Amino acid sequence: MSFKSSGNSGAFAWFYQRITGIFLFVILLLHFTIMHFTGTGEITYENIVGRLSDPYWKMLDLSFVVFALYHGLNGIWMAIQDYVRSEGWRAVIYTILVLVGVFLFFLAAVTLIPFGLK
Amino acid sequence: MSLYMSPKYKEQVLDRKRWFEWDYKWFWGSFAWVLHRLSGWALVFYLLLHIWVIHHLSRGPAAFDQVMQAVGTPLFKVLEIGLWGVIVYHAFNGMRVIIVDFWHGSKYQKQLFFIVLFLFVVLWVGGGIIMALHMIH
Repeated sequence: MSFKSSGNSGAFAWFYQRITGIFLFVILLLHFTIMHFTGTGEITYENIVGRLSDPYWKMLDLSFVVFALYHGLNGIWMAIQDYVRSEGWRAVIYTILVLVGVFLFFLAAVTLIPFGLK
Repeated sequence: MSLYMSPKYKEQVLDRKRWFEWDYKWFWGSFAWVLHRLSGWALVFYLLLHIWVIHHLSRGPAAFDQVMQAVGTPLFKVLEIGLWGVIVYHAFNGMRVIIVDFWHGSKYQKQLFFIVLFLFVVLWVGGGIIMALHMIH
């Protein structure tokens, strides 16, 4: 059995890993700065409500989640390809990574999208 | 992607010495690479936990502030300073990887690694001090 991961040689995964990396470099450092350096260091529900009710922040945060999950799980997949030789195990791990990604995107989406709309 | 691995590939790629074997010969680039991979694993682990924790926002103020209190103990605050270091290393070494990949930077990969280490120390210490000050107040 030849397990197919994405129907390509891995070149796209390699390329997107760099594209998402550049995006994450900017947005993650900004995220950490806002949360831990420029604020009071106190992260409460009230502090977050205002930002998340703004549709632009919401879109930014959603794309942040998508890029971070893709970059992180694709990174794991790249490492797995280095160490796991069995095609069966590769298929199992790949499926788990996709399911974890979809589940956490779902969690993030149901948290972010209704914010400020109720 | 077909996962067929030719005997040549197996011999040249899969059967070579690995960084976790005792007689692996280290060089600066492999040091940077191993740190990048380990920090990557740590960041993915954190990301999954982070999304899980923050999704408590959808359960209202009480649930969210309760879970934030659970991860607001001094232990977690100190771990967060460590997280900042892991982020800074992975972020700047990632930029080094991109430079090496796209702009013939392999010529300067060692010098670029020293720049990464310098930025890592400066930003980790600087940010760590700010976070420690927040912790005290």
